[in-house]
Amino acid sequence: MSNRRGARIIAGAVGIVFVALLWVLVSASPNSAENSDSPLLGQPAPAIETTTIDNQQFNLAHRKGSWVVLNFFNSTCVPCRNEHPLLLAFARAQASAQNPAELYTIINDDNDDSVRAYFRKYGGDWPKLRDPDGAIAISFGIAKVPETWIIDPNGYVRLRIVGQLSDGLLEELLTSLKSSFG
Amino acid sequence: MFASGGVSGPLGRALLLVGIVGAVFGAFAAITSTRSNDLKVARLIPRFALLAFAAAVGAFATMEYAMITRDFSLAYVQKVGSTATPPLYNFAAVWSALEGSILLWVLVLSGYSLAVVFWLRRRMDEALSRWAVAVMFIVEVFFFLLSFGPANPFASGAEGVVEGIGPNPLLQNHVLVMFHPPLLYLGYVGMTVPFAFAIAALITGRLGEGWLLATRRWTLFAWGFLTVGIVLGGWWSYEVLGWSGVWAWDPVENASLLPWITATAYIHSVLVQERRGMLRVWNLSLLVATFSLTILGTFLTRSGVLNSVHAFSESSIGPWLLTFFALVVVISIVLIGWRGDRLRSPGSIDSPFSREGAFLANNVLFSLFAFVVLLGTVFPLIVEALQNRKIVVGAPFFDRMTMPVGIALLTIMAIAPVLPWRKASGELLRDRLFWPAWCAIATLFVCVIIGATGLVPLLAFGLGGFASGSAFRQVILATRRQGLRGLVGRTNGGMIVHVGVILISVSLAASNSYTHSQELNLVAGTAVQFGGHSFELVKFVERVDSRSISVAALVEVDGGRAYAPAITKFTNLGINVGTPSVKTGLFEDLYLTLEPPVLKDSAKARIKVFIKPLVLWLWIGGGLMAIGTLLAAFPGRRRRPTAATSALLPDHHDHDQSEVVGA
Amino acid sequence: MTMNSTVKRPFVWAIMAIIAALLLAVGASGDRGPLTQQDRVDGISKRLACPTCQGESVYVSRAAAAVALRDEIARQVGSGERSDNEIVSFVEQRFGGQILLVPRSSGIDALVWALPVVALICALVGLTVAFRRWKVSDGAVVSDADRELVNRALHDS
Repeated sequence: MSNRRGARIIAGAVGIVFVALLWVLVSASPNSAENSDSPLLGQPAPAIETTTIDNQQFNLAHRKGSWVVLNFFNSTCVPCRNEHPLLLAFARAQASAQNPAELYTIINDDNDDSVRAYFRKYGGDWPKLRDPDGAIAISFGIAKVPETWIIDPNGYVRLRIVGQLSDGLLEELLTSLKSSFG
Repeated sequence: MFASGGVSGPLGRALLLVGIVGAVFGAFAAITSTRSNDLKVARLIPRFALLAFAAAVGAFATMEYAMITRDFSLAYVQKVGSTATPPLYNFAAVWSALEGSILLWVLVLSGYSLAVVFWLRRRMDEALSRWAVAVMFIVEVFFFLLSFGPANPFASGAEGVVEGIGPNPLLQNHVLVMFHPPLLYLGYVGMTVPFAFAIAALITGRLGEGWLLATRRWTLFAWGFLTVGIVLGGWWSYEVLGWSGVWAWDPVENASLLPWITATAYIHSVLVQERRGMLRVWNLSLLVATFSLTILGTFLTRSGVLNSVHAFSESSIGPWLLTFFALVVVISIVLIGWRGDRLRSPGSIDSPFSREGAFLANNVLFSLFAFVVLLGTVFPLIVEALQNRKIVVGAPFFDRMTMPVGIALLTIMAIAPVLPWRKASGELLRDRLFWPAWCAIATLFVCVIIGATGLVPLLAFGLGGFASGSAFRQVILATRRQGLRGLVGRTNGGMIVHVGVILISVSLAASNSYTHSQELNLVAGTAVQFGGHSFELVKFVERVDSRSISVAALVEVDGGRAYAPAITKFTNLGINVGTPSVKTGLFEDLYLTLEPPVLKDSAKARIKVFIKPLVLWLWIGGGLMAIGTLLAAFPGRRRRPTAATSALLPDHHDHDQSEVVGA
Repeated sequence: MTMNSTVKRPFVWAIMAIIAALLLAVGASGDRGPLTQQDRVDGISKRLACPTCQGESVYVSRAAAAVALRDEIARQVGSGERSDNEIVSFVEQRFGGQILLVPRSSGIDALVWALPVVALICALVGLTVAFRRWKVSDGAVVSDADRELVNRALHDS
């Protein structure tokens, strides 16, 4: 093998690797869209047994028969606060609807007093559930707050929304889920 | 201070524009004067360099002024400035985000350009000098353009803003934030200088060894600062982040390590070119790789494509950097291909068991190391490009892959310093490696006696002893013959750097294998035992200031001094930051963190204690590397000048000057 | 000097190699794996990425989600009902594949393990080829005619 041929082989290999690297880097997109996938979709929802901040017992299994919307929330998280009016509107609409969905807030890394103060100031009278050691968040695989999960009347997870809600999104998705899964 | 009429913004941009002009004209002057050999134009070059530097200083000073006076008319000050930040951290806040860090790069680069122009002032008649200066100016233009365009720190912010959130709280509780980025940049950006000379040599065809020797100190200087910058980063991680580790293989850390790897390969491989005119293509490629990796690293961490705690997010700077990276690599490869015939070496390596052979193996080893680190860092992007799926490649991959590299490195460090040039006989090796080998056995013996277990760490310790033996043998021989002068010079300084590297390797092996931790529930007044030490909670101490509330648990260790790990809540951001407290010892550190939840009114605390062996050796090793670099930069004993191609016959007197002539 | 060169003969080196190997064997055999439960927790948390952070491991990160995960892992290690791999699967089933820090050895992820090995093999092959090529150009062979010439020259003078 002559010197020149060896050099050409090496140069060719380096060139190929470089071009491949360049292609990967060019096609890389920063901050790609949130993945609302989850291994739990279509599976029975993880068990939730906890207390509300008003010291009532709560068990997710006892909520079978209605659609359940869980919203993971933290009073200092900016997108959570931004979407709060949308949740208020949602709760008000459900109150006068047929077959209303139940809305629950799950507190994520926050203390009772802050949450109480927030809801006192901005409204919202649905139950807020404690999650002191984060076990509920872990069992759902929560990546960031806010996240909104929808569970069907049989206790199966049907939808996961990661990030701040947009206007009407929750109502729309719930309606389409109801028509698919009854 | 309220948002002023915003003089800083336009002033800063104007200064950047001046800098662009200066650098463009400087490049122009350098290139045209080379072609036409017009010395009058060449005389303008220093003026342009000075102009660009002054503009960069002015722009940076304007930015600092805006930061210090809390000029919230600038978007950047709104992003990282705050009235509540203490002055020191506020000053450092300038380089805590993207735009300011590019501005810092511009400042350092223009400083280097000026220094190079000044250093070459008597040699401006040489074409090589002018081309080197031209390359420096061109790179300078690029970064000035970045700072003027996509990474503009002087852009106006939203109206009527009177307060900002300040830099990340993690950047506000340790003074290292003042030193780590500038020192790292001195190294990172400094690699532009040898690269410029490499390109100049390729363009002018002056590919002999003169330019190598001339730029040796520049390369060492940049390499030294890069090393110190990386070690300081590790120290900061240890002291501030609270997970008790020094290196997490985070993409930004990898971005700083990659050019270090290729630069280290270069400073070894270049010795072969000096001595025997060989490995020219390797050396040029390593220099090009080093500079390209600095650009690639900047792209990976600044464009937002990779997730990292350090990463500066967003911005349109990505395509610019990627284009520049591609241009640099393509142009360099074309130049090397064009000059290929002049790069053929006059000799060949006679035997793998020779100093040249060892350095060639060293190049290959370091290239593999760089390949593995680069692969791990960009692999998430590859998978995303091919399968549109996000994965994370974390520390376990890198640890497992670099472990054999580390072992191989220690082995080469042990054997290579005693290898003669051209060819080694078995007898010679056995003779020279005898005492180092006994050092290895003694080290292994001591380690086994004190109860260290595990094949990999023991292998690392044994090889560390072996390599130290070789290094010390060299230094002892040199000092025996030359007294204190024997500590100075390339070889001896290099040996001290090696000892530093060995200490770091041993420390990392020990802390990776033998760190033990435990969570202790402490009740005030009762001491708890762990790992041969006792821990007793004394009380909680709370401290409130305008921007944070911190709760510290005073823990008495071994009945002596109290250490105070803390949790600080930054009130305007709602973020909790943990601060560890470390008891440093020669053989082990006791690293304490306070774990949430903190109930300061009860007398209970949850403390996590890490027992970390040999961490101090890491910092000592880093210090030795810095000292050794300084010593290596000094001229050693004046040698017999050797021609680039040595004599044909193997000759005992042809060995490195510090060898004892064979018996 | 004779004592020195005797001492440095290959025989002595063989002894040294045996001693070193023995010491390594003794040390290696003492390796008992994770000692405490906390070590197990640390080992597992080093294999998982913190879900809310940017690429940090659960071991490294100080974020609330990471702390919660560490507590969960500690609970499971403490109850003793799951092995390390089972705990990792448990977490993976809830968070999805991207929580794993160690790429799997199947599918395209295996490339990250395989490519370095491929590169190593290429490097070794390249080095061998290079050295062999240099060796071929080395070494002059003394032919009988040359010897004849030298002998005659020596006896002539």
